[in-house]
Amino acid sequence: MSLFGQLLLLLITSTSAVAVLLIVVFIVKDAVVFFKMCGFKEFLTSTRWYPTGEPAEFGTLAIIVGSGLVTLGSAAFAVPLGVVAAMCLSDLLPFSVRQIVKPVIEVLASIPSVAYGFFALVILAPMMQEQGGRLLAIATWAAGAPAALLFSLLMAEVLLRPCSESQRRRFRWPTVLVLGVAALILVYFAAGAAGRLQIPSGANALNVSIILGVMVLPTVVSVSEDALQAVGRELREAGYACGATRAEMMFRIVLPAASSGICAAVILGIMRAVGETMVVWMASGNAAQIPKPWFNLLEPVRTLTATIAGDMGEADHVTGSARYHVLFAMAACLLTVSFICNLASEYVMRRQRRKLHGG
Amino acid sequence: MISGTRKVIDKYFSVAGVASILLMAAALVVLLTPIIYRGSKAFIFRATVEHRRFMLEKFERGNRDDVEGEVAEARQAREPVYAMVDAFRKDVASMGFVERRKYAPLVDELDAGLTRLLGPWPGTQRPVLIREQYGPTRWDRAQVALHEVLYVEGYDYSDPTRMGTKVYTPRIEEFRGTSLEPLFGYLEEHLDDMLHPRLTAYWGFLFDPSMDAHMFGGIWPEVLGTVYLTLGAMLFAVPFGVIAAIYLVEYAGEGHLIGLLRVCVSTLAGVPSIVFGLFGLAFFINTMHVSPSKSVLAGSLTLALLVLPTIIRASEEAVRAVPHTYREAALGLGASKWRATVRVILPAALPGILTGIVISMGRAAGETAPIIFTAAVSVGKPLALWQTLTEATPALPWNIYNLCTEHEAVDEIRHVQFGMVLALVALVLLLNLSAIVLRARLMGKLRGSAS
Repeated sequence: MSLFGQLLLLLITSTSAVAVLLIVVFIVKDAVVFFKMCGFKEFLTSTRWYPTGEPAEFGTLAIIVGSGLVTLGSAAFAVPLGVVAAMCLSDLLPFSVRQIVKPVIEVLASIPSVAYGFFALVILAPMMQEQGGRLLAIATWAAGAPAALLFSLLMAEVLLRPCSESQRRRFRWPTVLVLGVAALILVYFAAGAAGRLQIPSGANALNVSIILGVMVLPTVVSVSEDALQAVGRELREAGYACGATRAEMMFRIVLPAASSGICAAVILGIMRAVGETMVVWMASGNAAQIPKPWFNLLEPVRTLTATIAGDMGEADHVTGSARYHVLFAMAACLLTVSFICNLASEYVMRRQRRKLHGG
Repeated sequence: MISGTRKVIDKYFSVAGVASILLMAAALVVLLTPIIYRGSKAFIFRATVEHRRFMLEKFERGNRDDVEGEVAEARQAREPVYAMVDAFRKDVASMGFVERRKYAPLVDELDAGLTRLLGPWPGTQRPVLIREQYGPTRWDRAQVALHEVLYVEGYDYSDPTRMGTKVYTPRIEEFRGTSLEPLFGYLEEHLDDMLHPRLTAYWGFLFDPSMDAHMFGGIWPEVLGTVYLTLGAMLFAVPFGVIAAIYLVEYAGEGHLIGLLRVCVSTLAGVPSIVFGLFGLAFFINTMHVSPSKSVLAGSLTLALLVLPTIIRASEEAVRAVPHTYREAALGLGASKWRATVRVILPAALPGILTGIVISMGRAAGETAPIIFTAAVSVGKPLALWQTLTEATPALPWNIYNLCTEHEAVDEIRHVQFGMVLALVALVLLLNLSAIVLRARLMGKLRGSAS
C-alpha cells in the first residue's frame, strides 16, 4: 500500500491518542482557571464545601476523603474475595464448571452502573435502615466464623511448635478446640455489638462500598485469573513434587509469582471504583463531611464523581464562574488518579511479564 | 506442620474458593431477582377498570362498548359511596356549630382520599392533570389508596427517648355513631366491584409514550433514545476502532510511537466516565458546537470515545487470532497486503470483532454519566431520525436515575422505575448473551478447522 494510505491508517489509529490529549487539555484548561481564581490551598485543605454560599467556599478535602473511603471500603471487600475466587477459578474448578462461572462474571461486569445504583438506593438502603443491626450481625458471623476457624488452626500450630511430635499429635485437637471456642465467643460478642448498631440512613458509605465491591469484583477476578494462569505449569508441578498441598502450592509459589499481576488487578479495580459515578451519586447520601472517626462507613459521604454529576446541572448556567470551574478541578484530580493507576498497572504488568518470561 | 493440619487447611482453602464463587453467583441472583420480579409487574399486573378507561380515551385501545359497559357497572357499585357521603354532608350542614367545626374538615379529608381511590367525583369539572382524571389504574396502588382511606396516619411521641413511630388508627373511629359508619365496611367489601381488577399484560409499556411525567403510559421515548445513542456511538466508534486494530496488528511495527499509541488506548479506557461527560460538554458542545445544546449527536460522540478502547482491543485480538496461513495463502496468490487484509483477514476475524462490538454496545447503552451533560433530558417526546442531530432525548439510564431520585411522586411510580431497569438490564444482558453465544460458536469453529 502506498505511503499515503499507511499515513491515513496511522492517523485514524491515533484517534485515541488525540482524544486523550484533548481530554487532558480541556479538563486542565478549565481547572487552571479555578486554581487561578481560588488557589490550591483552600481546595485541598478545607473541608467546607459551600459552592452557593456568600462568599462561596470550595474546600474539597471532605469530598476527596469520601472518594477514598468508599474506594477503600470496596477494595477491602472485593480484593480478598476476588483473589480467592480467581485462585479457585484457575486451579480448583474443573474446566466444565469454569465455563459456567465465567459468563456469570461477565454478566456481573456488564450490568449497567445505574442498575446497581438503583438496587443500592431502592432495595439495599431501606433494608439497611430497617434491619441494619441484624444484617451487620449476620455479616460479622459470616466473616468471623471462618476466620476464627482458620485462626485456631494456625495458632495451635504455632503454640505447639516447641513440643515433640507425639505431644503435638496428642494436644493438637484439644488446643484447636479451646482456641476455636475462644475465637467464636469473641465473634459472638462482636456480632452482638454489631447487632445493636442503628443505621440512621441507608444511603451511606457502607452501602456504596458493598455495591462498588460487587461491581469491581469482575475486574479483580478476571485480571488476577489471567495473572495466575500466566504462571506456568512447571512451577505448579515443582511445588507438588516437593510435597506441597494445593493450598501451600498456591499461597507459597503461585501467588508470589503472580503478585505483580494481582497488584495490577487491584489497581485496575481501584481505578474503576474511584471513577464510578452513578452508584455513589444515588446511594452515598451526598453529605460533604468527613465521617467521625474517618473509617466510620455507616455515615453518609460525598465523592468527587457524584459532586461533578450533581453540581454540573446547576453550575452549567453560570459558565465561567468558580462554581463551574471547580468541577473541572475535581475532574482533573480524578484524571490524575486514573493516569497514575494506569501507569502503575502498566509498569507492574510489564514487570510480571519480564519476571515470568525474561528471567 | 503436622500433616493433618495441612490437609485441613488445604480443604479450608478449597471450601473458601468455592464459597467465594458461590457468593459471586449469589450476588448476581440477589441483584437480578427483585429487578426481574418487580420489573415484570410493569408489564403484567392487575389492571383496574380505570386502566382500561385510560387506554380507551388516550390511546383508543380496547373495545369501546365493553369498556363503557364496565365503567357503567363500576359506577353503579360506587353510587352508594357517593350517596352516603352526600347524605352525610347534608347531615353536617344541619348540625350545630361545634359538630360542624369537627366534621367538616374530616369529611373533606375523606373526600380527598376517596378521590384518590375512585377518581374524580361524577359531575365535577374534569381536572387538567391526567393523574387527577383517573383513579388508580393498578390494583396494588388501589390497595394503598384504600388503606389511606381506611386508616389515619399519625405519629406516636409518647416515648420521649425515641423517634416518633408511625401509627395507623382506623378512620371509622372519627365517624363513629354517624351515618357514614357503614361506608368503610362497604368500601372494603366492594372495592372489587368498584374497580374490576383483572390480570392484564400491558406490552405497550415498552412502546407507548409516557404521559404526565411517567404516571401513565410507557417508556418508548427512553427506549428509542437509548437505541439512538447506542447506534450513534457505534456508528462513530466501529470504523475507527476496527481500522485502528487492523493498523496496529497488520501494519504497525514495534516502535516507540506505536508503544505510545497503545498506552494511550489503555489510558483512554481508564478515564472515569463522568470525565468523559465533562469533556463532551466542554469540547463537543461548548467548543465545537456540534449542536446548539445537548443532543443525541453530542452524546453519541462522547459515548463513542468511551467505547473506542474496548472495540480496539477486541478487534485487535480477533485480527491477531486469524492464523498466519490465511495471510500467507492470500499473499501467495498475489493479493496486495491491503487486499489480503480486507478480503481474507477481516472476514475471518469478523465474528471476534462482532463480539467486541456487541459487548461495547451493551456498555454504551448502560452508561449514564457521559450522557448527563451531553444528551439526556428527563422528559421528552420520541425523536425522529433527523432530530437526533439537534435535539436532546430521554434515555433509559438517565431516566432511571431521574425517576427514582427527583420525581415528585417517587413511591407511586415504583413499577415504572423497575420496568425501566428491567428493560435496560434485559437489553444489556441480551447483547452480552449474544456475544457469549457468538464467541462460543467462534471457538467451536476455530477448533473444528484446526482438527
